[in-house]
Amino acid sequence: MKKVLVVDDDADVTKLVSKLVERAGYEAIVAKNGVEGMGKVREDKPDLIILDVVMPKQSGIRMYRELKTDELFKDIPVIMLSAIAPKSFFRSQQVLDEFRGQSIPQPEAYMEKPEEPEELVELMKKLLG
Amino acid sequence: MVVDDDADTVELLTKRLSAEGYHALEAFDGEQALQKVAEYGPDVIILDIKMPRIDGYEVCRRLKSSEDTRIIPIIMLTVKAKVPDKVKGLDIGADDYIPKPFDYREISRRVRYWSTVKREVEERVDEIRRLEQELIKSERLAAIGQTVGSIAHYIKNVLFGLKGGVYLVNVASKEHEPDSLQTGWEIMERNIGRMSDLVLDLLEYSKDSEPEYEICVPNEIAIIMDLDPSLREVILDPKGIQQCLQNLVSNAIDACIFDPSEGKRWTVHVRTMREDDRAVGFKVSDNGCGMDEEIKGHLFRSFFTTKEGRGTGLGLLNTQKIVKQHGGTITVDSEPQRGSAFTIRIPFRDVTTGEAIAKEGR
Repeated sequence: MKKVLVVDDDADVTKLVSKLVERAGYEAIVAKNGVEGMGKVREDKPDLIILDVVMPKQSGIRMYRELKTDELFKDIPVIMLSAIAPKSFFRSQQVLDEFRGQSIPQPEAYMEKPEEPEELVELMKKLLG
Repeated sequence: MVVDDDADTVELLTKRLSAEGYHALEAFDGEQALQKVAEYGPDVIILDIKMPRIDGYEVCRRLKSSEDTRIIPIIMLTVKAKVPDKVKGLDIGADDYIPKPFDYREISRRVRYWSTVKREVEERVDEIRRLEQELIKSERLAAIGQTVGSIAHYIKNVLFGLKGGVYLVNVASKEHEPDSLQTGWEIMERNIGRMSDLVLDLLEYSKDSEPEYEICVPNEIAIIMDLDPSLREVILDPKGIQQCLQNLVSNAIDACIFDPSEGKRWTVHVRTMREDDRAVGFKVSDNGCGMDEEIKGHLFRSFFTTKEGRGTGLGLLNTQKIVKQHGGTITVDSEPQRGSAFTIRIPFRDVTTGEAIAKEGR
């Protein structure tokens, strides 16, 4: 069974998205911040990651960059799911790219809360085949 | 207001000031002067220095050191126009100085001048106060503006929860999934709660309420915490249990305050305990006034209070209700003059399923 990692500090979001993941026929793994999220990535090697931006301990911005700069994990597709406007997220990535002289690819998808749950389910199915 | 222990001076000055249209007040010593200032709030004070008991310097010092009266101009009046006397008067805050014997025309000019100054100062002070109020208000509005972004962020999260909840309830009724129905419904309920919390907090923040001041006397009651380090994650309703503990601790403090004993070192102990693998215990004990059998018998009855109008008589009842909803127990141990101890036991729930592991029997 394919595994989907849901990283969000809001317990209702992880509960809801896990339910959507399970209904779509995948296994849901949950983490509540970037540090815990990276731990689960190493432990469970998920097939898809659904990632929030604003979280305590380690934000989604940092976790995303850590993922995409790691040879082992850089090909795992990522759906960003956040109440932060996509413009702000992409701007922050651009600034960090310039500052560090990196060129991190953009996530597979960016969904701004409150996105329709159907859209998330469809996108998940499309990315996981 | 004219203050002088010499009745002739007072009479002369009040008569002439009245003739000029002033409402002239008289005082014949320092004590009377202070009393009348508090009562009538004069616009200018003509103050003699040499008076029995409270002299003019002292009256001036007291008036100038109080926030309420320092604005009132004081013209010092004395027989000796010696430089050291003048300096002393001015040092403690007198605004002007007229030597005796005086010419009334000089008094008249000075009184007119100082009453105009006072009126202008008052107007400025009012203006400053008004501006201060406006500043506070606009700062608060700016703070609200800055937080609009984070409020929007919060609401977007809540909306996502609501949409998700509705989605789950919809698919549950179509596809017959009771499990999704429950999850969806729970998520919706919680997010409606978050929304109302936000609205209430915002209203509280934007309200123009004044603090309700009262006299608060520090007590000498020590509060000692003794927390069991072996306690791990537990499942309970944090708001409810917090309410229970707040209630028990404030009762314990009241029991110490109501204790008539003398020279006691009052303490309130708050303890948490892990009881095997079955329950988490909270114990709140005090060495206050304690309770006799009769009071103990009434403890968990509605509207019963020993706090002489300060309690609602619902605190313990509410605590008991919350504890019972958790499947737990609350027990009391108390002796008059020795103190009371309330112990709450909440049975452990499974951290993953939330199901009760063991039911506590009474």
